[in-house]
Amino acid sequence: MPPLAGSRPRIGIVGSGIAGLRAAKAILKCKVDARIVLFGDEAHRTYNRPGLTKKRYPLSDALDMMIAEDVKVNGAENDALTWRLGTRVETADLRDRILHLSTGETFEYDGLVIASGVRPRTSVWGNGECGLHAHRTLRGLDDARYIHHRLQAGEKITIVGAGFVACELASLAKEYGCEVLMLEALRSGPFENILGERVSVALGRWLAQHDITFLTGDSARELLCDLQPSHPGPPSDGALFIEAIGSVPNVEWLHGNGLDLSDGVRVDEYMRVAPWANVFAAGDVACYPDPWTPGNLTRMEFWKNAIDTGDLAGRSLASSMGHGPVTSRIGYFPSMSTEVLGLRIQIAGNPRMSDAMEIVCGDLDQLDQGVLVAYLREGAMIGAAYMDKGARFNSAYIKLLKSLRER
Amino acid sequence: MKIFVDRVKCQNHGQCAISAPTNFELDANGELQYQEAFSEENISDIEDAVDSCPLQAILLKS
Repeated sequence: MPPLAGSRPRIGIVGSGIAGLRAAKAILKCKVDARIVLFGDEAHRTYNRPGLTKKRYPLSDALDMMIAEDVKVNGAENDALTWRLGTRVETADLRDRILHLSTGETFEYDGLVIASGVRPRTSVWGNGECGLHAHRTLRGLDDARYIHHRLQAGEKITIVGAGFVACELASLAKEYGCEVLMLEALRSGPFENILGERVSVALGRWLAQHDITFLTGDSARELLCDLQPSHPGPPSDGALFIEAIGSVPNVEWLHGNGLDLSDGVRVDEYMRVAPWANVFAAGDVACYPDPWTPGNLTRMEFWKNAIDTGDLAGRSLASSMGHGPVTSRIGYFPSMSTEVLGLRIQIAGNPRMSDAMEIVCGDLDQLDQGVLVAYLREGAMIGAAYMDKGARFNSAYIKLLKSLRER
Repeated sequence: MKIFVDRVKCQNHGQCAISAPTNFELDANGELQYQEAFSEENISDIEDAVDSCPLQAILLKS
């Protein structure tokens, strides 16, 4: 249904993270004469989420402001764009093209971008207390401010999990001089589901070498707490206890529309949410056809993925309104990096789907000297990882990625 | 347009060197080295490098 004659079409973007912002920018760049409204349930405009755990701040009364300033992302300053922050979209009716907001208002749209992201998984409801600890998670700017404050005070921290958030947080806590305990009951070390057991065990050793108490298996499980929120045990000591055990896509508001919400929001290679020609999804929540392993779907929670899929969703939406050509398919090359206690870890391609690995150079017992790993599936390379304190094999890594991209 | 890297923000993650090896590289010590000037035909690689930085340390300035 075309918009009413004479009125500008209305575009709703649900989610004010980088995917939502990039979708808005792409729509504006395609010169769609529309009114765009960006809904965000946080009070903050778009910020650089990876930056929340990447550096230590000096003691200051202005810590909250310093962090916000540091992770600020330039927004799209444009009269066509309205920010509705602190406003949650409670439900959506895609057939009638209406969003129902937490304020009781409704918003009718002609085009919709779903960029509602994910939230941390937690073993208790909310930030509840289990009887021993105040469970917290780390996702947003407010979480990061709270944690930086507590780490500045030099408190002991317990971290559950050994993924990216957990490892960066452990690294940050060590920089602040805190005592760190990490509990990973399910796997043998960091990033095991992506990089495999051998690399994972080597990374676990790296943590231990840097004075982190890293426990796995039963010894970790014993220290996980009773998870009943109403557990009548001793009062919580309020110790810093952060769960970094994965995430849950924010899709509940889309229930009742007949969508496939089994792992985020299912989209096609143009980020379109079938069967709706005017609905698109992007960022952490979007589950799309994996360009790397045909026939599979993928959902990625990385900064660059949010940027590229946000751009594509915006361009596809503009195209659906008659602006710009039908957009290119996903051309995204998965590449990410993190730094854990001085060790740079770069990962590219799709090592998760591999059936074999090969050390190209270096020695897993000496990570700081550089180790380059290739990941294979049926004999062909599908991913690579590079760990190093310096960058002695960096050009070899880039060469490896070149052949990976061009395969 | 020229490339400008905020050295205070940069943590040498090296994602830019993957996106645009013509202008960015990590030296043997792992420190980022880059060339400010780029040719227009590489603009999409350069923009990709700007986007891929997890610290958002790269700017294009005219």
